[in-house]
Amino acid sequence: MKNRSMPSAWPLALLLIAAVSVEAALVTGSIVYTKRFKTTLLAEPSPLAAAAGELALGRKLTVTESKGNWLHVSDGPLAGWIFSGNLSTLPPAEAKGLDGLPVAASQTTATAAARGLTPAAADYAGRRGLENARDDLNWLLEQSSNLTDEQVEEFLQEQKKGEYK
Amino acid sequence: MNPRLFFIGAVILGLIASPARAQFDFNKLTKAIDKAKTITDTAKDASKVAKGAAGIGPEEEKVIGDSVALEVIGKFGGLVRDEDITRRVNLVGRALARYSTRPEHQWRFGVLASETVNAFSAPDGYVFITRGLYDLAATDDQLAGILGHEITHITRHHALNIVRRDEFFSGSKSLLEKYSGDYREANAAVGQVDAQLKQFDVGVGKITTGLIEKGFDQPTEFAADQGGHDLAALTGYAPGGLRSVLVQLQQPGSPTKKTFSTHPPLKERLKRLPDEPAAAPPPPAP
Repeated sequence: MKNRSMPSAWPLALLLIAAVSVEAALVTGSIVYTKRFKTTLLAEPSPLAAAAGELALGRKLTVTESKGNWLHVSDGPLAGWIFSGNLSTLPPAEAKGLDGLPVAASQTTATAAARGLTPAAADYAGRRGLENARDDLNWLLEQSSNLTDEQVEEFLQEQKKGEYK
Repeated sequence: MNPRLFFIGAVILGLIASPARAQFDFNKLTKAIDKAKTITDTAKDASKVAKGAAGIGPEEEKVIGDSVALEVIGKFGGLVRDEDITRRVNLVGRALARYSTRPEHQWRFGVLASETVNAFSAPDGYVFITRGLYDLAATDDQLAGILGHEITHITRHHALNIVRRDEFFSGSKSLLEKYSGDYREANAAVGQVDAQLKQFDVGVGKITTGLIEKGFDQPTEFAADQGGHDLAALTGYAPGGLRSVLVQLQQPGSPTKKTFSTHPPLKERLKRLPDEPAAAPPPPAP
């Protein structure tokens, strides 16, 4: 297939794979960051363990021990366990926008809010004769927003996925 | 041309060409100019199409994502409006996305009413799987492998790399500078919005064509396979889920036409994916 967009994509792809795979070869002393608005630090490597603290988005931590998919991390006197899937090797502030510039956490926050179809896209549907697709997309947005984060959390627990595995 | 813009342009032209030009009401022109400027500003606010040197941020990605999603849905016969199917796809998809590099993003997963076998992602968290592929993914492990691949495309901005930012948004900045005088400025403002909209539509068209006709280049697809594999495994799904779907498609009697037509050949993808279990082991007894 013709290589259209990224002539040197292999090195970039390999770098990205290395960057986002927190599980891969994280050794003691590695630096990681919280990637959710709120991450609970646990006293033991279990989702049922007592909370040892609560961390905001982008908190820089040092890995001090690993056990399976769980990492013991610390920041000064604050220490505890976090499921590796809830950490990133890249700080959120360095998440790149389309132009390669950092995307601020505040923008990330705004993005996360549930929303309907943007007015500009609704106009686009009108210009392109995509009214049926617009109705379908609005239906999908409604279905998606009906599924709450709490329901996804319950699903993870029931299915024993993520930190519940 | 946007009908509203056409109307404003017509108002301004009407004022200029009017026989009553001798009694030209400057207030009317000012109002028309203000209205034209308001439309310009509204368009900028809605799609942030002209941010100068600033980068494209989440607001632009939303508009682009919505528009590309509309095109994908339109080209694949609409969405399967089945609440149970949509719920399953969204539960598995959001479970995966929670451990991606964009866990707080708004993710939407839909099933396209098409018997072809394929999956697509649009910017801003849209993932689509065709009904043909959905029916092949009998287990959540297989579904997770497919969705993980598409989530990886989004978290790494693959679709948005198809067009450069300046292809989307350049060319309209200097239009106003070409004119002098108030009514010319008003006309230029109208023209600017129109030019921006046309440029935006062309940009969306390029992404859509790239996604559903040409597909990504092979290294990008292999990277998405690997990323999806890792994400599925991290979430607790069988790491061999995606591979098992691809193997299934190689079996005699499987659909051969229009199967992952925008992806690299199955055998090339299979070569790069480790032969691992296609079903997650049962959880340990409590």
